[in-house]
Amino acid sequence: MSSPTIEAGAPVIRAIFRRVLEVEDVTDDTSFFDAGGDSLLATRVLSAIARELGVELTFDDFVIAPTPAGLTTQVDSRRS
Amino acid sequence: MSPGTASRAVVIGAGLAGLTAADQLLAAGVEVVVLEARQRVGGRARGIEVAPGEWVDAGAAYLGERHTELVDLLARLGLKTAPTAMEGDSRFMFGSGGSTRHGRFPPLNAVALGDMFELLDELVREVDPHSPWLTAGADRLDQLTAADWADQHLRHEDARLFFPLFLGEMMAADPADVSMLHVAFYLRAGGGISYLNDFEGGAQDSRVDGGAHRICELLAERLPAGTLRLGEPVVAVHDAADAVTVHTERASYDADAVVVAVPPRLAQELDVVPAVPHPRATSRTGRGCAVKVQLVYPEPVWRRDGLSGWSVNAEGPLLSTVDDSPHHGSAGVLTGFVTGAAAHAYATLTHREQVEAATAQAARIFPDLPPPLAVHVTDWLGEEWSRGCYAALFGPGDWTRLGPHLTRPHGRIHWAGTETSTEFFGLMEGAVRSGRRAAADILCATQPEAGARS
Repeated sequence: MSSPTIEAGAPVIRAIFRRVLEVEDVTDDTSFFDAGGDSLLATRVLSAIARELGVELTFDDFVIAPTPAGLTTQVDSRRS
Repeated sequence: MSPGTASRAVVIGAGLAGLTAADQLLAAGVEVVVLEARQRVGGRARGIEVAPGEWVDAGAAYLGERHTELVDLLARLGLKTAPTAMEGDSRFMFGSGGSTRHGRFPPLNAVALGDMFELLDELVREVDPHSPWLTAGADRLDQLTAADWADQHLRHEDARLFFPLFLGEMMAADPADVSMLHVAFYLRAGGGISYLNDFEGGAQDSRVDGGAHRICELLAERLPAGTLRLGEPVVAVHDAADAVTVHTERASYDADAVVVAVPPRLAQELDVVPAVPHPRATSRTGRGCAVKVQLVYPEPVWRRDGLSGWSVNAEGPLLSTVDDSPHHGSAGVLTGFVTGAAAHAYATLTHREQVEAATAQAARIFPDLPPPLAVHVTDWLGEEWSRGCYAALFGPGDWTRLGPHLTRPHGRIHWAGTETSTEFFGLMEGAVRSGRRAAADILCATQPEAGARS
C-alpha cells in the first residue's frame, strides 16, 4: 500500500539530506553515513524532520534506517 | 642581497608559527635569530614521555587532511601520523549513573541537539570567513557572549547542558567569556561544525607519531648553530630609522624585520616603540581554558570491556576522555580534557587534589580501572608563556576591535601565531599558515622584484 504521507515525506527528507550533507545525488536509498553523514549531522536531519514533518524521531530510530525511504516509513508509522 | 632586502630577521617565539616563519626566511637566505622565553621549543605543543620512547601530547595534538600546510610540513620533516580511529563503545555520565552506548552520540534528546546545531550552522554559514567583523550584524553578534546566545536560543534542557560541553571540547571556551561572533568564526575557520567535531575524517583524524612537539624540535634542528636562544624572553621591540632592535633581558638584536609569533595577550605586553596603534588583545581577550590530564595505565584496560576510552561527562573535572595510548606501545593512556569553567575551578586545586580528582573520576567512568601508574596534569591556564590553550578566546567586541589589524604589519614588525590566521584559527594548521604568511610578507615587502631572483 502506498501511503500519501510517504509520497509527501520522501521528497522532504531527500531535500533535508541534500542540504545537510551538501550533496546533490540523494535517492530514497541513500545511506546517510555512507554519504558522509556523522552523528552530529544526523541530529540536524532529525531537527529538520521534526520541524517540517511534525514527527520527533530518536537518534536510535535514525540509526536503524538512515535512508530517506527508511525515515519516511518511521515518520509514517508515528503518524498512523 | 640586493638593496632593500631583509638580510636579518628576529623571530619572537619558538612555537610552530615562529619556527615555520624562521624556516621560510632561512630558505630565502635571510639571517634569522629565534628568541624563546622558555627553555624548550614548541609553545603550546609539548610532549610527555609516558613510557620509554612513548610520547603523548600534553598540548596541541590533532590534525586532519584539510590541514594541508601541516601535512606538507610533516612530509618534509619525515614525520608520520597515527590514526585516532577508535573502536568500542562510549561512556556517558549524565544525571544519575553512567550509560554505555555505541558510537559517540550522547544519550540526550537528538532533536533538541539538532535544533541547536541547525542554529549554529546557520551562524557559521553567515559569518564572513576572512573578515568576521564585516559579517552582517557583526556588531550585535560580537557584543553577545555565547552564554547570552544560549539563553536566548536554547529552550531544551539537553541543549543547554550540551552547549557548554561542546564549546569546551571544540575551543576550550567558557560560554560566559567568549563572543558569539568568535564562536561562529572559529567553527567556520576550522572547516565547519562537523569537520571540527569529527575524529575519523575530521580535524581529529590523526596525531603526530612521536608527538606534535617533534615538528618544532625538527624545525629547530634546522636552525644554524647559535641562532636559537632559549630562556630569553623579549621585553621590548624598538623600530628606529636604520634598524629594528629587539631587547631581551640579556642582549639586543638588530634586524630589518621582526616576526612576533606569540599569543595575543603576550604580544600586547611587549613594549613596542613606536607604539602599536591598535591592540593585539583587550581586557576581554580570554585564555583558552584547557587543562589536559594524562592518566597512564599498564595497558588500555578499558578495551577489554569493549570500551573505546571516549566519554562525555556532565560533571568535571574531566568533561571528556579519549584513548591516547601510544600507537605501537604497551602503555594505556587516557587523556582527560578539563575545559571551560571547569578548567578555572580545577586550576585552583593543588597538584595532589588534581591527581586525586582525575583518578577518582576516571574510575567512576570506566569500571575495573586499576590505579594509574602516573598522572600528568598540564595546566595551560597557568602557563606564563602561553596564557591558555588551545588558543586565545576573543571576547565581546574583540573581533570588531582587533580583527582588522590582526595581520597588518606595524612598520617592520610582522605578526604570526595561530590567532592571526583566519584559516584554521586556533589549530596547528593556523599556526603554520600564519608563519608562512608573515615570512612571505617580509620577503615580498623587501624584495619587490622577487620574481627575478630565481
